Amino acid sequence: MTKAFSQGMHRRDLLRLLGIAGLGSLGVSCAGPGSTTNSDDAAPEEGDVSGAISFAHWRAEDSDVFDEIISDFAAEHDDVSVRQDISPSNDYQSTALQRVRSAAIGDAFTAFRGAQFVDMASAGLFADLSEQPFAQNYQADLITAGQSDGRQLGFPYQLVFNMPVFNVDAFEDAGISEPPADWDGFLDLLDKLASAGYTPMAWPGGEPGNAGQLINSMVMNNAPSEDMFTGMEQGEFDATDDWFVTTLKQYAELRPFFQNNASGTAVEPAQQMFAEGEAAILATGSYHIAAIRDLGAEFPMDLISPITVGADEVQFRGVHNATFILGVNTASDNQATATAFVEYLSRPEVAAVYADGTGQHVTVEGVEYTSPDLQALAHWLDQPTILAPRFQFNDLDMRSAIEDAAIQVVGGKDPEQAAADAQRIVEQRRA
Amino acid sequence: MNTTPTKPGTGHSPPQPPAAAPHPPPRRGRRSSSTVSPLLYLFPVPALVLYAIFFAVPTFQAFQYAMTNWDGFSAAYDNVGLRNFERIATSDDLFRNALTNNLKFVLVVVVFQTLFALILAILLTVNTRGSVMLRALFFFPTILSSVSVAFIWKFMYDPNFGLINSVLETVGLDGLTGAFLGNPNQAIYWVAVTQVWFHAGQMMVIFIAGLQQVPKEMYEAAEVDGASRWGRFRHVTWPMIAPATAIVMAYTTIQSFKAFDLILGLGGNPPKQSMDILSTRIYAGFTNSEFGYAAAESIYFMVVIALITWAQRRIVRLTQAGAQ
Repeated sequence: MTKAFSQGMHRRDLLRLLGIAGLGSLGVSCAGPGSTTNSDDAAPEEGDVSGAISFAHWRAEDSDVFDEIISDFAAEHDDVSVRQDISPSNDYQSTALQRVRSAAIGDAFTAFRGAQFVDMASAGLFADLSEQPFAQNYQADLITAGQSDGRQLGFPYQLVFNMPVFNVDAFEDAGISEPPADWDGFLDLLDKLASAGYTPMAWPGGEPGNAGQLINSMVMNNAPSEDMFTGMEQGEFDATDDWFVTTLKQYAELRPFFQNNASGTAVEPAQQMFAEGEAAILATGSYHIAAIRDLGAEFPMDLISPITVGADEVQFRGVHNATFILGVNTASDNQATATAFVEYLSRPEVAAVYADGTGQHVTVEGVEYTSPDLQALAHWLDQPTILAPRFQFNDLDMRSAIEDAAIQVVGGKDPEQAAADAQRIVEQRRA
Repeated sequence: MNTTPTKPGTGHSPPQPPAAAPHPPPRRGRRSSSTVSPLLYLFPVPALVLYAIFFAVPTFQAFQYAMTNWDGFSAAYDNVGLRNFERIATSDDLFRNALTNNLKFVLVVVVFQTLFALILAILLTVNTRGSVMLRALFFFPTILSSVSVAFIWKFMYDPNFGLINSVLETVGLDGLTGAFLGNPNQAIYWVAVTQVWFHAGQMMVIFIAGLQQVPKEMYEAAEVDGASRWGRFRHVTWPMIAPATAIVMAYTTIQSFKAFDLILGLGGNPPKQSMDILSTRIYAGFTNSEFGYAAAESIYFMVVIALITWAQRRIVRLTQAGAQ
């Protein structure tokens, strides 16, 4: 080599070098993917609560309330600061796992219930919070979505009702005083609203994420089990089964009661129609009530689910979801402070601040809601509601195929054809 | 290779112009041109290292991941050989649907964007104040972020509050109103319209640069020869702007395959099947914790872009050779 350099290097030598470098790159790139192992770390029950932590979540609309809560938390401890790292929900769904895993953000973090929680738990991101005393602050039946292998890895914080919201004044105006007892009663209710000059239901069919919420109510009594979609994923049920085809046929019956061209409507215009009193029902969920108020709506609101079966077959009146799962990152080097922050959020008085500030119910026990909207919906806490079925899917493509079938039926597609097309995707995804 | 100067008027070399300086005599001890100082080879090393880290290694890794069922976070995974590629090719309707949508999208965008850009460029080649102002106006959408563009057009297309349906209703053309992005048979074409609006001005600038390079004498000569306006375009302009056309078409194609943020902005994440294209499909794979499978889809994606770009360049060359 010394000789070659002293005499100059030939092109052939350069090519050899490049070849060696290329093979080196190939070798480096052949290192196996994946570097995370499942962790059994438990979050510390005690420790030095100090320093800076990051709190990663997706709810930009809650940032002011969290700022207030963080400020109070910091006042309790010397030398503590909490930075909110907020990503839009779609980005959070896609990238949070990678970003939180690297511990670049999210000493304390949140996860969506369902596929994201399962993946994050598999990746060992959640410190075990089972032994934390503040676990007792939560309503036990509402935090099962944060459990894995018998361990409480996270606490679902929000209690959302993923069922249509209605304008109480519009219902009174249309002469509706009782909730419908069955499917015919529900169609009759929509008919009365149309006769009174309202668009019976505003539905954001142009936006799958929000459009998909209606399927929760539509299947809750047609398939009254909390794991029907899990069963579909595992091959126990098909999209061509009677219960799902019936559901799609009922979507077809709802066509005249949605706004025109509903399958192309985005969520903001649907909210606008509802907030302005043009539409009587907004077929999304309670999580939109705060946004409706921001749009200037002053009418009282409540929730209503389509009852898709006969009166004697009704098992559920509504849908709930416990999500925004709070956790502590095993990769964090300041777990004590992150755990202390989660503990702080779990106090009833702090959860009440969050609930009232965001218009969301919470899973923490003993919270007294002062927001009129939350008080108005509080009766749903005691109603027979099903855990939102759509979040049982861990395979997002399968979920999209099922939801897309419903959207296409509203757009005019034959329900049986839509079911068959969805089934084809379901089978391919199972393979 | 050493060069030996030839005496003027001798040998096979053409005669040198009298003003040309004679070639300097070869320096003593000058090295062969294939041999250079080894230190010179160190200069590209930083660039090569960066290239290896950020391009070569990830590309090789994509091939490796494509042969696994890695979920993106676990330490454990299985090597599945070519099974991912086989599944994509034989039993993945979602990928096939995304590919079909993407080809429709590319076709519409490449044809109309190139056409509009060329027409605008021809109309605005002259450097008058009005042309410059109009060029800036047509170029303006390009400087917007794709998220803003998606937001603007989402409301244009909205069936209830959107500008398009409102205008149609106002002028009594209610029959032409529609669901636009909500119509599964049309959605991808409406996205294509947005893409053309977004980037036609950018491509116009490339064409203007190409058009301004065409010597005026060629048009004058063609005019003297009796060429009509169309004849001048066909036999002078079109062949002379071949490089610009090739760049525009190749760039538009690649841009159309990567219209990822526009689709997500217009259609949400994940978009409906009617708006799903290859880049959003691959992203859905990563979101769905199927990194190995998504890597295999990425490789198909790369091959499709390469094939289409190559075919386009061939077509442009052939049509422009035919026009000459």
